Amino acid sequence: MRISGEAVLEAPVEQVWNAVLDPAVLVRTIPGCEQLKVTGENQYDMVVTAGVAAIRGTYTGTCELRDLQPHESLVLKAAGAGAPGTISADVKVSFAATDEGATLLTYEAVAVVGGMIGGVGQRMLTSVSKRLAGEFFSSINRVLSGAEPQEVAVSGAADQPATPGSPAADAPAGSTFSAPQRSGGGGGAGLPGGDFVQGALVGGALVLAGVLAGALAARRRG
Amino acid sequence: MTTKLFGQAVQRVEDDRLLRGQGQYTDDLMPGALHAAVLRSPHAHARILAIDVDAVLDVEGVVAVYTHEDLVGAMAEPLPLLIPHPTLTHGRTQYALARDEINYVGEAIAMVVAVDRYVAEDAVDRIRVDYDVLPPVVGIENARDGDLLVHDDVPGNRAARMEQQVGDAEAAIAAAPHRLSLDLQVERSACMPMEGRATLARWDTDSRRMQVWTSTQTSTGVRAAVASKLGLDLGQVDVITPDVGGGFGVKIVHPWPEELLVPMAARALGRPVKFIEDRREHFISSAHERGQLQHVDVGFDDDGRLLGLSVQFWHDNGAYTPYGLIVPIITSTQLLGPYKPDNYKVVFDSLYTNTVIVTPYRGAGRPQGVYAMERTMDAIAAYLGKDRTEVRAANFIQPDEFPYDHGLLFQDGRPLIYDSGDYPASLEKLKALVDWDDFERIRDEARAEGRKVGIGIACYVEGTGVGPYEGGHVHVETSGKVKVSTGLTSQGQGHQTAFAQIVADELGVPFEDVEVVTGDTRRSPYSVGTFASRAAVMSGSAIALAARKTREKVLRIAADALETTPEDLEIVNGVVQVKGAPGSRIELGTIAVLSNPLRYAFDEASKAATQFVVGDPSKPPVAEDDEPGLEGKDFYSPPRSTFANGMHAVVVETDPETAEITILRYAVVHDCGNLINPLIVEGQVHGGVAQGVGGALYERMAYNEHGQLENASFMDFLMPYVSEVPKRIEIDHLETPSPLNPLGLKGAGEAGVIPSAAVFASAIEDAEGFPITSMPISPSELFALRLHHEQKLQEGPHA
Repeated sequence: MRISGEAVLEAPVEQVWNAVLDPAVLVRTIPGCEQLKVTGENQYDMVVTAGVAAIRGTYTGTCELRDLQPHESLVLKAAGAGAPGTISADVKVSFAATDEGATLLTYEAVAVVGGMIGGVGQRMLTSVSKRLAGEFFSSINRVLSGAEPQEVAVSGAADQPATPGSPAADAPAGSTFSAPQRSGGGGGAGLPGGDFVQGALVGGALVLAGVLAGALAARRRG
Repeated sequence: MTTKLFGQAVQRVEDDRLLRGQGQYTDDLMPGALHAAVLRSPHAHARILAIDVDAVLDVEGVVAVYTHEDLVGAMAEPLPLLIPHPTLTHGRTQYALARDEINYVGEAIAMVVAVDRYVAEDAVDRIRVDYDVLPPVVGIENARDGDLLVHDDVPGNRAARMEQQVGDAEAAIAAAPHRLSLDLQVERSACMPMEGRATLARWDTDSRRMQVWTSTQTSTGVRAAVASKLGLDLGQVDVITPDVGGGFGVKIVHPWPEELLVPMAARALGRPVKFIEDRREHFISSAHERGQLQHVDVGFDDDGRLLGLSVQFWHDNGAYTPYGLIVPIITSTQLLGPYKPDNYKVVFDSLYTNTVIVTPYRGAGRPQGVYAMERTMDAIAAYLGKDRTEVRAANFIQPDEFPYDHGLLFQDGRPLIYDSGDYPASLEKLKALVDWDDFERIRDEARAEGRKVGIGIACYVEGTGVGPYEGGHVHVETSGKVKVSTGLTSQGQGHQTAFAQIVADELGVPFEDVEVVTGDTRRSPYSVGTFASRAAVMSGSAIALAARKTREKVLRIAADALETTPEDLEIVNGVVQVKGAPGSRIELGTIAVLSNPLRYAFDEASKAATQFVVGDPSKPPVAEDDEPGLEGKDFYSPPRSTFANGMHAVVVETDPETAEITILRYAVVHDCGNLINPLIVEGQVHGGVAQGVGGALYERMAYNEHGQLENASFMDFLMPYVSEVPKRIEIDHLETPSPLNPLGLKGAGEAGVIPSAAVFASAIEDAEGFPITSMPISPSELFALRLHHEQKLQEGPHA
């Protein structure tokens, strides 16, 4: 699946850049993101719950931001799996200032969706993606405009409070960012022992793919 | 006289039970059994680095979990390559559970056995597998390019290259007055039986017997596979086929991993275990068929007579080749249809891709072969400006040329020799049935109204009733009831009806008194299976022979009892009587009593056979060359296949705006030799045509470049509803009996689906006026073709 698109965020490039690299922001804004654990510089383990109807599920996986050209571009590599299937994605993200002082984000993604969502959910991916993209952009915009309070729980070696808007590189490895209580969860409902979700999963990539597809759809509407 | 039932449209005895919901399918049996669920690969091509099942073990309700590490002995070896062939130089089969590499989305990796399917599936979700994902090979072009490999040790992804030749096709084409080349394509599809795969096994710990109920087309095949893989004696394994909700080829023996894993688990656990496939599993882990690319070179004369035909095709065999080269061999031979090109060369490559395996689906390679040949016939007719039926008629094998030897080897390793047929007569019947000669007027009138209609024709010859053999067993009980058994299985063909008709006629008993059992190795341990339109030919013949043996014994015993000779006796309505003196008679049940000398009497009837009542005290109660009981057993083994044939015509209308394709008429002329039951044959034709409509207009396997099957559900995989199947299928029969078997039968089960892609392509081409070279075809594709040709037309004058 190849997806490309763009979106305008109402903040200067520097601020958007910092927000995108900040796990405390990401965990709050990525739809369905329950947990981000810093495993290295710009490297995370993620737990995301996403999907629709019967193919909703919890995904665990990894996400890495690499090839960072500050305030210009980065590449996000994500991979993971959950009961509904697997996903892996390479996403090139470019940042550019608009004349109005906002930021134009451009995405190019190559995503491979496998397992049940690959076979049964393909035709639903676009609509789900649109919804997720809408959530992601409005959340980011709310954070950037200060309308969204940062209720992010942080635990880990340093046990330090999250500083909204600071780059993720500041968070020591082992820090875990948890989103406030949300509805959802679910992949393992009915089974004892909740740690099975560490199975494999990359809701992150799913969401990103969704964001990208949504952005594309938004552009087409425009 | 008893009315002869052979040839009568007898209502199916199966239907009452099945329509009332009283069928007994594998999942209906043993409700308390444990359930298995299988972890399947989400990737098309990957190496397995590690499998972690720890999280499964503490799930309440889980009884066992298996990966390849847990398999021992033959179970740990690759699954059998069932049909080896000298040209299959690089045959590969999968493991029951993947060992270190997976080659298609859906390949089995681990199996969990739990108290029910819910727990088993939840537990499967907890298994963690680390993969090294490899680039997949998807599509015939990519496989052929060979840049990426499915199996590292199979260069060019080529499992086999096979070539057959008769005469010198290339020289004949070069010397021919006219030449054409065609490039053709046929997509993948799959059978989609209502009931998926299903296997239930019970290991009897007391008698140390394995009993397996499985939804299969070959019970003896599964039995041999289970015995061999689990190290059991054949005599320890019973395989019983209950009602089967459709086979269509996909339930031929492979054997499926689950058909072996379930008995293995049942024995290990000492408890019954069942596996019931769900629909998504059927899409991604059962078998597909049909996908081929074809190139045809043909040389012909002014009448359209073939002088030389050279065909090359590339067959997508999926990730493994458990069923050998049967499908492409059938394509390469059955392509010839009712024609005689004299100089014929065919070369095919059977290629690996990272997709589900390809094994026979109703028609089994014939639809593709017929498509190649019939597209060629239409192309020749268009080139010469001749009527399409005329070109075909110019190439027919004539009725006085049978047996006709093509000089090739067929799928059973025997010579491709047609036994009988009358193709010119069939064509005349079809033309009359569909008003062929009047169609030009209809088409012109429609065009004048702004409508597009077209007529298509396709002819085929189908090798049916392949060997090696089938058996029949007929047993007359002391009640006079007749119990019949044959080893091949039933999936809705009406065997219980058709075989009972044969026995009722041969034995002279009422139809209602005959009961037929199929696919039970306890009753018929020697059998092959139901495929290749072989059941009526093979088991029908064997049962007729067995009934004749039984009849001989009936008459011999009756002649003794009535103090006459067998020649003077007849059997009418279950009673043996002296011809011309019906008062001198004896019931069949009484003969059954007399056939079995008894020491003990358990009821009134058996008193007649006890030691102080019957028998000459000076002779042994059972003569040296005789056996107790009134039964007959025989086998039928044909020298080679018998060749049925038929011709279909379809009239379609294509919407000038939306390119939607509507069927206006569908006509079939069918020759399967003598008909046992025309009702059943027509039912088979109807079902085949419906399935063919799906294959020609709707069904495809939407693999993306990553090897993910994107339409793996009935939400996205289109099948024809009753609204898409022609309301009326006009059928005419021609009966040219086969000289190869005692009843003059030919197979009928697959016929309806064989010419579908060809006949629809022919009709759509006729309606549209441009060549159709890729099937199936959707309205969108037809619309795109129209745009393409309009554009070409506009550019034409300047080009």
